[in-house]
Amino acid sequence: MTATVTRLEATGIVLEALERDPAAPIIASLGHPAYDLFAAGDRPANFYTWGSMGLASSMGLGLALARPDLPVFVLDGDGSLLMNLGSLATIGWTKPARLVVIVWDNGLYGTTGGQDTATAHGADLEAAARAMGIDRSVTVRSAEDLRRAVARALTEPGPWVIVAKVTESRPGVKPSLDYVAIKERFMAAIGSPEAAVAESSA
Amino acid sequence: MSMTTSAAPWAVAVCAGVAAAGSRHVVYVPDNPLSHVLRVFADCHPGLRTTVATREEEAFGIAAGLYAGGVRPTVMLQSSGLGNSLNAFTSLLIPYRIPVLTIISMRGEPGEWNAAQMPMGRAVGAILDAIAIPHETIAAADEAEAAVKRAADLAFTSRLPAACLLSRRMTQQASA
Repeated sequence: MTATVTRLEATGIVLEALERDPAAPIIASLGHPAYDLFAAGDRPANFYTWGSMGLASSMGLGLALARPDLPVFVLDGDGSLLMNLGSLATIGWTKPARLVVIVWDNGLYGTTGGQDTATAHGADLEAAARAMGIDRSVTVRSAEDLRRAVARALTEPGPWVIVAKVTESRPGVKPSLDYVAIKERFMAAIGSPEAAVAESSA
Repeated sequence: MSMTTSAAPWAVAVCAGVAAAGSRHVVYVPDNPLSHVLRVFADCHPGLRTTVATREEEAFGIAAGLYAGGVRPTVMLQSSGLGNSLNAFTSLLIPYRIPVLTIISMRGEPGEWNAAQMPMGRAVGAILDAIAIPHETIAAADEAEAAVKRAADLAFTSRLPAACLLSRRMTQQASA
């Protein structure tokens, strides 16, 4: 592991790139990726998951299919993506052009105490994504490379998988535990207010 | 171009219920009866999109994203896959109140030949009750459209998942 950037710093780089796009959704995997997103910059278009380990990329895929007009960012973890590798196959099949899955890869189950994940022992998530038909798959190891990859992902059609080698940060703050409020604020921010979905029917 | 005359009436009715509910994206893990439903969607509901998931939990994750993007989602699965999806129900859909019209093709009912289908087939109702997901079993084609629509209305107004269980007695009926 040759990472030179902490996950918290790396999260800040993503937020910086989206500064002028407050409606760009970011879905964060549970635990440390979500805590770091909250710490780096709470915004209404952040969706913090508190469970459903592995499903952040699936949720991002569904959102990207529903809203091809938006760049959809997912902040996943290596352990979480390993739990739902099939998601890469479905993303590779459906190929939503503006979906950007960023995988914070620290080789650890950071939220549960730092046990090794398989990426610390040879599993290569970029290669997995590529093998599933996601050509725009890269691995980055520095702040500068991450900045460049995110900039490309915002301009060149994807889907993108950016495996970002990061070191563990020690998040000190956590987002709201009001799950329904997280969802309602998120849906309003990205322009699909929930009341409208409730009223829509054939 | 459409071949509705040869489609199973129950499948036509299920599709009509999904369409009437305003759901225009179905995520699924296939099984044999559901293939009839998928054919009717393809032939008669060209505006409706379908996406295959690799497993049921993933399907509900995709559905949650569709909902957040303003689309009323439907997930279709076989009863054997309900176990695979429980984490999505209990730690995403229910706590965040994300509604999904859930259509479960039943196996493991009386008459089942495959013992590997029986434990989950028998447990589906009790599992859904345990996590407070409302469900209705549909056993006749002429009830199917209304029952699917009812489940969808319940889901999308209560903002929680609701399920329809398609009984084998109905889904075994041959095409007309």
